[in-house]
Amino acid sequence: MSDKSLPVVLRYALQVLAYGLFAAFLAYFSTAPAYRLRADNEALVKLSFSHSAQLVQACRERSEAELAKLAPNMRTKMDCPRERAAVRVELEMDGKPLHRILVPPTGLRKDGAATVYRRLEIPAGAHQFRARMADGANGAFNYVRDASLFLAPGQVLIVDFSAENGGFVFTLG
Amino acid sequence: MPVLMRALRDADEKLSGVLDHAFAPALNPWRHLGALAFLCLVMVVASGIVAFAFYDTSVAGAYASGRRLQNDPLLIGRLLRGLHRYGADGFMLLSLLHLAREAARGHFSGVRWFSWLTGIPLLWMLWVAGITGLWLLWDERALWSITATAEWLQALPLSSDLLARNFLTPESLNDRFFSLILFIHIGVPLLLLAALWIHVQRVSLARLWPPRALTLCSLAIFALLALWVPAGSLGAADTTYVPATVSIDWFYLFVHPLVDALSATTVWLLAAAMTLLLALMPLLRPRPLALNASAPARVDLANCNGCARCAADCPFGAVIMIKRSDDRHHLQQAMVLNEMCAGCGICVGSCPSSTPFRRIEDMVSGIELPETPVAQLRQHLKIRLAELTASPKIMLFTCRQAADWDAGTFRDAGTAVMALECTGMLPPSFVEYALRLGADGVMLAGCRESDCEFRLGDRWVNERIAGLRAPQLRTGVPRESLMVAWTGSDPQRIRISLASLRARLESGPSILSSSSHSRHEGHHA
Repeated sequence: MSDKSLPVVLRYALQVLAYGLFAAFLAYFSTAPAYRLRADNEALVKLSFSHSAQLVQACRERSEAELAKLAPNMRTKMDCPRERAAVRVELEMDGKPLHRILVPPTGLRKDGAATVYRRLEIPAGAHQFRARMADGANGAFNYVRDASLFLAPGQVLIVDFSAENGGFVFTLG
Repeated sequence: MPVLMRALRDADEKLSGVLDHAFAPALNPWRHLGALAFLCLVMVVASGIVAFAFYDTSVAGAYASGRRLQNDPLLIGRLLRGLHRYGADGFMLLSLLHLAREAARGHFSGVRWFSWLTGIPLLWMLWVAGITGLWLLWDERALWSITATAEWLQALPLSSDLLARNFLTPESLNDRFFSLILFIHIGVPLLLLAALWIHVQRVSLARLWPPRALTLCSLAIFALLALWVPAGSLGAADTTYVPATVSIDWFYLFVHPLVDALSATTVWLLAAAMTLLLALMPLLRPRPLALNASAPARVDLANCNGCARCAADCPFGAVIMIKRSDDRHHLQQAMVLNEMCAGCGICVGSCPSSTPFRRIEDMVSGIELPETPVAQLRQHLKIRLAELTASPKIMLFTCRQAADWDAGTFRDAGTAVMALECTGMLPPSFVEYALRLGADGVMLAGCRESDCEFRLGDRWVNERIAGLRAPQLRTGVPRESLMVAWTGSDPQRIRISLASLRARLESGPSILSSSSHSRHEGHHA
């Protein structure tokens, strides 16, 4: 048949070619083409935090009538609803909004921390940043931080939040 | 659908045919994609075990240990890393090609539904195993990929935005998390091996390993590739800096550009849809009605002596031997598991009671295809041969799986044609019987070699004719009057083989008078 009619040398040459093409395909696509992660003159802001906002309702004392309606083992004097407020965050750059987000609390009872992770590409260079957060039920911004920073191309600015450390934390790589 | 499947199958056959020009059909890598993928897995596991001995599993030490291995002056580290990396890439590529080829050949429904369905999780497993391996290098590509994967996972409805925070700063990633990745990278391949075992459970004599020559050549090419194009690490992972471009392994990291281009949710939906589509494919009926295999084989206890040849030859493990249920003295009897029977008739070809020389009027074989009983085959053979008027008289047996030819495609005054479900269905004694009935030559034409639709038909035919497997073609049958041609669906190849056999018969002594040939193989085209 026709597939046996080729000279042996030619068959071996074709085999080498087939193996070579397979190897070349593997070698090329295991590293190439390179993937572009950002524009040449871009830097990166990563806005990321995990924060437990304020409770929506403050604790209150139960009345005697309310306590009487509860099962004996549930008669605690203070009523402290667990639900937390949503966290509102605004990140401005050079006076213009860069990112705004309203993050609900996690958990079935809405009593968990609000978590955020956003990757924002910005032009490299000097910038004025302002981060604001409202974590109370009234929606008023109660945490604000300003920072003037210079970001080189590819540099990463991490905007984190730590209530224990006074609010927003800007970390420049 | 049937038209599309026929077109895909023809395309696959053409591609196989092209590669047959370079490789012997039995060594054609296109026919061993699954086995070659398994070879890659074994290579990856073996090189991974050795490389693990030199690997530092801490966040601080992982990158440096990878570089040390890469820069090993004896090149052993380079070889190990290359075999591990390119083996993983080859595993992915060959697995996808294996899947595409099986899909093109309609091997996703019928008796093959189990293998198809159990193959789907393997793709997810091999992707997870591969991508976690790239993270362990802890270079800038690893950091980018692990962050991008975390971002992708965060798009799932039940996920929070906490996962990607693990990779914000060097302090946020600890050794325990790194150990978890390592655990996944080792654990998933172990699961993969177990799942592979399940994947091949419903095929007999599964071709796990490629032929030796193909194995050696493949290992050599991977070793050369590993040494020639080192699979090195990039710069160390740096959470404070994002490079403008990164060289990525497209076999595993393709998902990140896809997420960037479409959105994380869209890619999840795509992945789910693809998985679901693959899982639902067994419900399709891809084969043209004419190519639908016969009803399940049926055992006739009165003619079954429990020899177990049918069980040994069944390509899908559909025939099992059980304790005798009648009062005959044999110890066991064959039983057909209908849901696993492809209706190929290979068991009929293996049954010693399928011989047409039996002197009973109502001949019944120990195991039969209900729609094509052996008695009917014998009857048709007699009728067809009696119709021939020209010499040399040739009896051509074709395979309906290779192509469902019109009755008159090859028939002429000197050529009678009978279509079988699979050439493996023909008991070898039928060849001798045809010659006794006056045929000058017999030709068997089936799927391409090593490409039997029912997996083992061509192998059993070759071995039965060569006298290596029972039931054997008797040694007294002159082999030059027999031609076995693995032609596939190409009618031209059948015509060429027919012409070749006819020329041989016309030029040689009468086959009826040449009985001096002892055992030697039949002529193969």
